[in-house]
Amino acid sequence: MNKLITRRRALQGTAAAFAATAIAPKLVLGADPINVGSLTPNTGGGGPFGPNIAAAHRRVVEEVNAAGGVLGREVQLTQENSETNPETAVRAADKLINVNQVIGILGTWSSSVTLGIMPKCQEAGVIQMCTSSSADIPAKDEKGLVFNFQALSPVWGDAIADLALRRGFKTFSLMALNNDFTGSMIDAFAAKVKAKGAQVINEPFFYNGGQSSYRTEVEQLIAGDPEAVFIPAYVTDFTAVYKEIFRSGYEGQVISVSIATGDKFKEAVGEAANGLLHGVPVPPIGSKAYAMYLQEAGLEDTGEVQHPFGTAGRDQMSSLLLAVEKAGSTDTAKVAKAIWEVTTGPGKKEVFSVLEGLEAIRAGEEINYSGASSSVEFDNEGMVLGRDFQLTEVQDGKDVVVERLEFKG
Amino acid sequence: MGQVLINALVNAALIGPPAVAFSMLFGILRFPNFAIGGYITVGAFAVFAFNVTLGLPLVLATLLGMAVTGALVWLSDEIVFKPMREHSPITLLIVSIALTLILEQGVRLFWGADVRGFDLPLTRPMKFAGMRITVEQVWIIGLALAVASLTHAILRYTRIGKAMRATSDNFMLAQVRGINTGRVIAFTWLYCGALFGLTGTLGGLDLVIEPLLGWNLTIPIFAAAILGGIGSAYGAMLGALLVGIAEELTVLVLPSTYKVGVGFIIIALLLLLRPQGLFGEAQIKK
Repeated sequence: MNKLITRRRALQGTAAAFAATAIAPKLVLGADPINVGSLTPNTGGGGPFGPNIAAAHRRVVEEVNAAGGVLGREVQLTQENSETNPETAVRAADKLINVNQVIGILGTWSSSVTLGIMPKCQEAGVIQMCTSSSADIPAKDEKGLVFNFQALSPVWGDAIADLALRRGFKTFSLMALNNDFTGSMIDAFAAKVKAKGAQVINEPFFYNGGQSSYRTEVEQLIAGDPEAVFIPAYVTDFTAVYKEIFRSGYEGQVISVSIATGDKFKEAVGEAANGLLHGVPVPPIGSKAYAMYLQEAGLEDTGEVQHPFGTAGRDQMSSLLLAVEKAGSTDTAKVAKAIWEVTTGPGKKEVFSVLEGLEAIRAGEEINYSGASSSVEFDNEGMVLGRDFQLTEVQDGKDVVVERLEFKG
Repeated sequence: MGQVLINALVNAALIGPPAVAFSMLFGILRFPNFAIGGYITVGAFAVFAFNVTLGLPLVLATLLGMAVTGALVWLSDEIVFKPMREHSPITLLIVSIALTLILEQGVRLFWGADVRGFDLPLTRPMKFAGMRITVEQVWIIGLALAVASLTHAILRYTRIGKAMRATSDNFMLAQVRGINTGRVIAFTWLYCGALFGLTGTLGGLDLVIEPLLGWNLTIPIFAAAILGGIGSAYGAMLGALLVGIAEELTVLVLPSTYKVGVGFIIIALLLLLRPQGLFGEAQIKK
């Protein structure tokens, strides 16, 4: 369809363009906007985290647009809710790709959603940025367009084992919920424990969620009376398993992952939760970018971890937009290559925010963006190289940090 | 081995009462009611509302929850199943699956999918002869035995119980002989509904209160009822015990991930070898 341009409309357009340039002097007149999609788990299993990620995406885009956009073009952000549901997510991704013509979809959280939309993104040549832990993610990314801001689950297992060993445990037993995220975690945990001279005394095994009882599994786990047991799981099955462990009279240390031990878990099991240890990747507390994030999000610095995933949202949008500026184009293959250039590698100028980075790139400098969720260094598959981990103990119904493992890039 | 038996007893006590209820409903209405999962979930959340939201003691909350579930289950017959009485068992079975989904989603709408627990601190076990059992597990077993005895007494010694047995044996003949079958059916729904409500409490204590609680118990309950001989309340109790033992023993020889299949295997084997179950009587098809 041809657009009829009347004199009046041309005048209106020019006036609007002048008005816009008055605020944002560098936006190029008439240039198409750069479309970016945000697909976050605002409800469902990721509901506690999605809104923070979405807000972080929006803040970065607003900041960049207010400062003149990227490549002189406005960034147009379209936000959708995945409901932490792969089916909803695929429909939303379809819309973002075909209607909004986005160059990237940022913010997917659960592995099933990230993997679910991957075929469509790969086919359309759209960049994905996520915080998902399944080891399938790099394997299924054939075009090198996926960047993961969360450590893969074997890294979780390795780090949590390291933290547990620092507490002095010598014998462990392991079982895990039967899924991809937790399965590869116990393998890495066992490998680390053995490498450091401690023992895994049971044959690590899996159980299914939704069972009518977990008694036999718990019997198997605590047979031989290990000093500590490690059970990576999700909150629903972990709550039932933990109740059973408590009722079995096991006096050793229970260790799990923090996503299974939130407030709802503590409410459901009450005082019995005290003494439980749980581990999770955390933002680098005390880093410059993390302090900036707290300020941008209007949060007080409490010295504790806040918005573990919102910080990743800031880093996703910042590194994508820096890469577009660096690539000088919205061609996604070029942008993907530029994502490594602006985030990874030594000997470059370290920047902590998108505006700092844009300025440096325009001044012709090589940059390395260091983020609020991690230092944001990617391996050659686009997976974040390292994150800080923290081990927390439940004391009097509250989480108290007992060990922290810092990633040294 | 002793611990395996205790564990099996607790499993059996959990699925025994709803298996009895499922069996009684089948005996009188002649269709497998898959909505039991939804009934149990509603029961657990009703008790949760009385116990945690309103702060009533758990025993009182359980009694009120049983009344609510009994009423809801009776209402589900009035609204859903009564108008469909003439339809085939397959139609009713599909309708009951729809009903369980509606109940479960209704619970999600009000309470979300979060995990919850009753206002009752977890306890450490009592130990004797190398075996362990907790106070709440003793309660679960005791209540299951009480339910079995009560059901037995009602069926055996009361007027309504005799009417129930007559209706179950031959619906037409019972009607001809002047039994008020409408009242018998209403009583059965109310009684079974109360048992599902009780299972909501016991399941919530043993596992965790969440919308899929009832669904997770459904297959073992089916297996127990079919094993015992569907329509036989006594058989259902024994069936529950055997399913409980089978589930516990399986894990000693097979990986735990296959445990959920045990119920299905029992159902499949029985349907092949002894379709009427251990205590059921073979039906004469005319």
